[in-house]
Amino acid sequence: MIEWSESQQMIRDVVRRFMEEEVAPHVEALEHGDLPPYDILRKLYATFGMDEMARARFAKQIAREKRGDTERAEKGADGDLAAKADQAASTLIPIIELCRYCPGMVTAMGVSVGLAAGAILSKGTTEQKERFGLELLTLEKIGAWAITEPGSGSDAFGGMRASARREGDEFVLNGSKTFITNGPFADTTVFICKLEEPDVDVRDRKILNFVLDRGLPGFEQSGPLRKMGMHSSPTGELFLSDVRVGMDRLLGGEAALNKSGGGRESAKSTFQTERSGVAAMALGIVERCLELSVKYARERVQFGHPIGEYQLIQEKLARMEVARMNLQNLVFRTIELTAHGQTMTFAEASAMKLYAARAAVEVAMEAVQVYGGNGYMSEYVVEQLARDSKVLQIYAGTDEIQIRAIAKDLLAGG
Amino acid sequence: MKILVCLKQVPHQDARLDVNGDGTWIKEDGIKFEINSYDTYALEEALRIKDAGEAEVVVASIGPDRVTQALRTALGMGADRAVHVNDAACQGSDALGIAKTLAAIAKEESPDLILMGLMSDDGNASAVPPMVAELVGMPSATAVVATERSEGNIRVERELEGGAVEVVDVPTPCLLAVQSGLNQVRYASLKGIMAAKKKPLDVKTAADLGVADAVGTAGAKVKIEKIYQPLRGEGAEILSGSTDEIVSSLMNKIKELGLL
Repeated sequence: MIEWSESQQMIRDVVRRFMEEEVAPHVEALEHGDLPPYDILRKLYATFGMDEMARARFAKQIAREKRGDTERAEKGADGDLAAKADQAASTLIPIIELCRYCPGMVTAMGVSVGLAAGAILSKGTTEQKERFGLELLTLEKIGAWAITEPGSGSDAFGGMRASARREGDEFVLNGSKTFITNGPFADTTVFICKLEEPDVDVRDRKILNFVLDRGLPGFEQSGPLRKMGMHSSPTGELFLSDVRVGMDRLLGGEAALNKSGGGRESAKSTFQTERSGVAAMALGIVERCLELSVKYARERVQFGHPIGEYQLIQEKLARMEVARMNLQNLVFRTIELTAHGQTMTFAEASAMKLYAARAAVEVAMEAVQVYGGNGYMSEYVVEQLARDSKVLQIYAGTDEIQIRAIAKDLLAGG
Repeated sequence: MKILVCLKQVPHQDARLDVNGDGTWIKEDGIKFEINSYDTYALEEALRIKDAGEAEVVVASIGPDRVTQALRTALGMGADRAVHVNDAACQGSDALGIAKTLAAIAKEESPDLILMGLMSDDGNASAVPPMVAELVGMPSATAVVATERSEGNIRVERELEGGAVEVVDVPTPCLLAVQSGLNQVRYASLKGIMAAKKKPLDVKTAADLGVADAVGTAGAKVKIEKIYQPLRGEGAEILSGSTDEIVSSLMNKIKELGLL
């Protein structure tokens, strides 16, 4: 893939029009007025038939499971590669376009559809998928995916304190989670915790995923926390105090208790998907910052010349363009791999995420610099994008964790 | 029921327009194009009729390769098939040449209804729709702001000067040239766009339609002599002061000129 196809360009144009008409007028309220992003996201889904597409994909998956097929039908089939690429692009283009205005909305959407629903679809029983998954995929319900705790971030599993105590056919859940995207508003929360196993060292205990509904006795969701950026994505804390749930809320059911790997491997595949999405987010941020910077460099006159005529500004613009080209190529690679039914290795996904996050932050900060004093003011969009981009280096695995994953893979190779 | 929607692809409203070398049109290189905004309302109206019952929506347009994207977008929004007159000979056609070409398509298709935008965002002539109606022998109404269909008839509200509305009954088959704001234009769905590639798009030449003599600069009765940016005039006066001061000096100027 060397360029967006005609269909993909049409998707981009129509989605961009939606962003200009439906998101841009509300950016102020989303960023500073406590307008939750969900109604606009639902409108995005309904407008472009993304809810219908999700329903159709879900119905196929469930039908396949009920037939007992384990292989995805598309995998290995020759099929129409262009159509598959369009399909893959149709999930990334809305991410890119949203990030031109409100990267936080992607976080809110991605956590609900990608992480919460993703966890249910990959680990749940067919019954659990039908009960909890579909409404998240269509955004009828909002999901949260609760892994981080006050004492465990990068060392998510090792430092995890949240626990599930088995009592007959029930579990008693306890613990607190923080920095949970959609936490304040989530209808459905995937709560990740450790099984209480008195004979096993706490670091090695089995990881379990439970699905919680808003309002379960003992389950408290905080209001939104104040933070540096991504204001359009509500972030909160969760507190569980003796929340009693049945086996029906344990993802995977009884089988999850006997699974080897203790649930850690399947969480890794979730990280991988998350990391691919970050490249698309970075591309949206970088594209917009570059466009705004070029425009400003042409218009802003200092010492009698547009600042774009000065080489120090030109260097910034050129570096932004290099980042844009690299990110676009990474997104193209993601689309191409998906079309071929392949995925990146964990280390490749980490490398892509590391580069994308750093590129987005560098470009957005340089865009502020091109704008000078204006760039530091909220009135100019680059200020928001610079604040928003910083989290890309932190969530979905910090830069440092990505580096560790890449190096570990390199050094393990023969 | 068959509905023919005629679309024009025009420069994007945000495109930077520069006059070309010989001063007869704009430079088209490197600018983005989109469906003429008035035509999008015509298309939406057709799609609403389709949604309400049995109707086939055919979209037609004239222009170079880039026009394919406008037609695919229309197919993505829900039109059933497209006709693209892609012929270098059509370049430089006047309104009558365009109207004759569209009329030839209409004669081939025999639609029950032809919908078009009232005018184009770039040319602003409003000439083509009544010409097409005349050439195919259909009654027509322009500046349509509302429609109500019944058997063999469409009751149309037309926008007149000063906000007045005229109500006319137009027997079908007919041609309606719609005003902007007639409806809320839908976005093409992602699935619709992906499916649009598989919908039929016929490419024709002026000769195929039997209008070779009528199109292009050779067939044109109206010739564009010159296109230019308005010259920057002298004598503009910038009023300064507080808002109240500006308003009051503006009012004085208007009174001085006897405009009030």
